[in-house]
Amino acid sequence: MTITTVTRMTGGKTTPIGMTVAPPERRMGLSDLDGFGVDEELEGIFLANFMSAFATHERCGVHLYRMAAGLTQIPEWREKYMEFEDHTKDHLRVLERLIERLGGDPMYVSPQARMAEFVATKLMEPILLEGSVDPLTLELTILEAVTLAERKRRLNWKLIRELADQMRETISKQAMQEAVEQVESDQDEHVRWAETAWLRMVMAQVM
Amino acid sequence: MGFNPLAEKGIPIEKQLRDWSELNVHPYDKEQVDPYTRTRIITMNGVEIESIIFSRQFARRTDNQEIKRALALTRRIEQQQQKAVNWLTPGEETTLEVTIGYEQTAVDLTAYIARAEPDPYLKQTFELGLIEDSDHLYRYANLLALLEGKKAERITGPLTEIMPGRPTVAEHRHPFDDIRAHYDKNTVDPLSRLHVMTITAAEQQTLNFYMNMGARYIEPLARALYLEIAMIEEQHVTQYESLLDPLESWFQQEVYHHYNECYLYHSFMSQESDLRIRAIWELHLNMEIEHLRVACEMMRRHEGIEAEEILPKELPEPTLFQEDKQYVRQVLAEQVELRTVRTQFVPLDQLPEDAKYFEYQDAVNGGGFAPSERVIEEQVNASGDDYRFMPEGPHPVQGLRRRAPQN
Repeated sequence: MTITTVTRMTGGKTTPIGMTVAPPERRMGLSDLDGFGVDEELEGIFLANFMSAFATHERCGVHLYRMAAGLTQIPEWREKYMEFEDHTKDHLRVLERLIERLGGDPMYVSPQARMAEFVATKLMEPILLEGSVDPLTLELTILEAVTLAERKRRLNWKLIRELADQMRETISKQAMQEAVEQVESDQDEHVRWAETAWLRMVMAQVM
Repeated sequence: MGFNPLAEKGIPIEKQLRDWSELNVHPYDKEQVDPYTRTRIITMNGVEIESIIFSRQFARRTDNQEIKRALALTRRIEQQQQKAVNWLTPGEETTLEVTIGYEQTAVDLTAYIARAEPDPYLKQTFELGLIEDSDHLYRYANLLALLEGKKAERITGPLTEIMPGRPTVAEHRHPFDDIRAHYDKNTVDPLSRLHVMTITAAEQQTLNFYMNMGARYIEPLARALYLEIAMIEEQHVTQYESLLDPLESWFQQEVYHHYNECYLYHSFMSQESDLRIRAIWELHLNMEIEHLRVACEMMRRHEGIEAEEILPKELPEPTLFQEDKQYVRQVLAEQVELRTVRTQFVPLDQLPEDAKYFEYQDAVNGGGFAPSERVIEEQVNASGDDYRFMPEGPHPVQGLRRRAPQN
C-alpha cells in the first residue's frame, strides 16, 4: 500500500528546527542525512531535504486528485483525476525507491517538506469558499490547483533529470535516470491535459 | 485488540438530539461524590467546550453549506453534551468549592499526563504547569478556609496534597516566555497529541471559569486572587496551545477533536465508579463515534485523506485520574526554581539579568503585595497558620515548609 500521509505509525522522522520538537528516536541527525548520494559527493543534507519535499508534493498530489475526483461534476474530468491519482501513486513509489537507493529514508519529512505541505494544502482550500461561487468557477479553480501542482511536480523531476545529466557514472546517477524515465512522460501528460482542459473550458465560456 | 472508534458504530447523528428533561440531569451529591468523578466532569466540560469553540472558528472560515451544516449539527449535539455534563455540578457547591475541584483536576490530570508523556520536551512543559496549578490549589484552599471556614480536603479527599507549589507570585512570566515549541505532526506520538489537546481544553475552561466567576465576588481579596490566577491560566493556555502543530489542517483538527473526545469518554468510562454518570460517559462515547465518522468523512471528501492514515489502529492507553502525590512532590523538589526564556526551560539562577521575566515581574508585582501572597498572610493572621493538607510528610522544598505565624 502506498503511504500518502507520513505519521509516527508509518515511521515518520524529521529534523526539528526552529519551533518544532520531536522525540529523540524520531529525529534525523545531520550525520544520517549527510550520506545521501554520497557516491557523487553531493550536498547530501540539502538534497535529502529537497527530495523529502518532492515526496511530499507527490503525496499531496494524491490527496488533491482524490479530492478533485470526488468533487467534479464533469465525468471526463473525474476519469482523468482518478487515472492521474493512480499515476501519482506510482510516481511516489518510484521516488521513494529512488530516495532509498540514494541512501535516504522515504519516511523522513524535512522542514522543506513541511513547508511544501503547507503550501500544497492551500490548493485544496477553494472548497471552503464554495458557497459564494458558481459551480463552474469551483471546477476551474480545482483544475487550476491541479495545473499548479503538476507544474511544480514536473519541475521537481526536471531537476532530478538535470542533476543526473551532470553526474559522473555512479549508482546515484543511474538510480536518478531510471526514476525519471519511469515518470517523465506521465508528468508531461498531466500538465498537458490540465492546461488543455482549462483552456478549452474557458474558451467555451467566452466564445 | 484495543478499542478503535473507527471500527465502531455510533448513534446516528439525527437520533442524538435530547429534550430538556434529558439534558437537565440530576446533579451529584457534593457530600458523597467521588472527587475523581468531579474531576472527570470538569475535564469533559472543558473538552466539550473546546470542541465547540474550535467548530465555531472553523465555521467562520467557510461559506460551504455542506461543511457549515455538518459543523452546526455536530456542534448543537456537543452543546447538549456540554450541558448534560456541566449540569451534573450541584448548585449547592459554592464557586470556591467548584474552584477547588478545578484545581484538583489541573493537578492530577496534568500529573498523569506528564508521567505518561513519551516526548521529553512536552513532558517538561506539562511539569512546568503542574507545580503552578498545585500552588493555585493551595491559594484557593486558603481562600476557602478564610471565606467559608471549610477545609479543601473535604472536597479533594485524601487523593491530592494541598501545599505550596511554585509560588503563584513567581509564575508571572512575560508573554514571549510562555510560547513553547510545537510537536511535529509527522512524528508525534498519537498519545502526545491527545495529551496536548486535553490539557489545552482543561486549562482554557479553567481560565474561562475564573475570568468570569472572579468578578462575581464581593470580597476584594477573592476578586483579587481570581484575577491573579486567571492571568496565570492565560499563560498556561498560551503555553499549551502553542504545542499544537499548525500544519494540521482545519479538517484534520476537527477529526482530532472528536477522536480525543472518544478517547477521553472511553478512558473515563473505564474507571467511573458512579454508575449513573458512567452511563453518561458511555452515551457520549457512542455519540462521539458518530461525530468522528462525520468529521472523517469531511476530511476524506475535502482533503483526500482517509482517517486510517492519520489515526492509530486502536485508542492509546487511557488517561485516568489517580493519586500522583509522590510524582508531584518529586517535580516540586526538582523544578520549583525553573523558569523559561522563550521556548527553553532555565533555572532561576541562570536567567540573564535582562531577562523579560524580571521586566514582567516588576510590571505586575510592582504595585504591592500580590493577592496570592496576601491570602496566605490573612489566613495566617486569622487562624494562626496557613491551611495545608500534606499526609505524605514535610514539604519537599525546604524553603516552602510551614512558617511561624507573622504576629
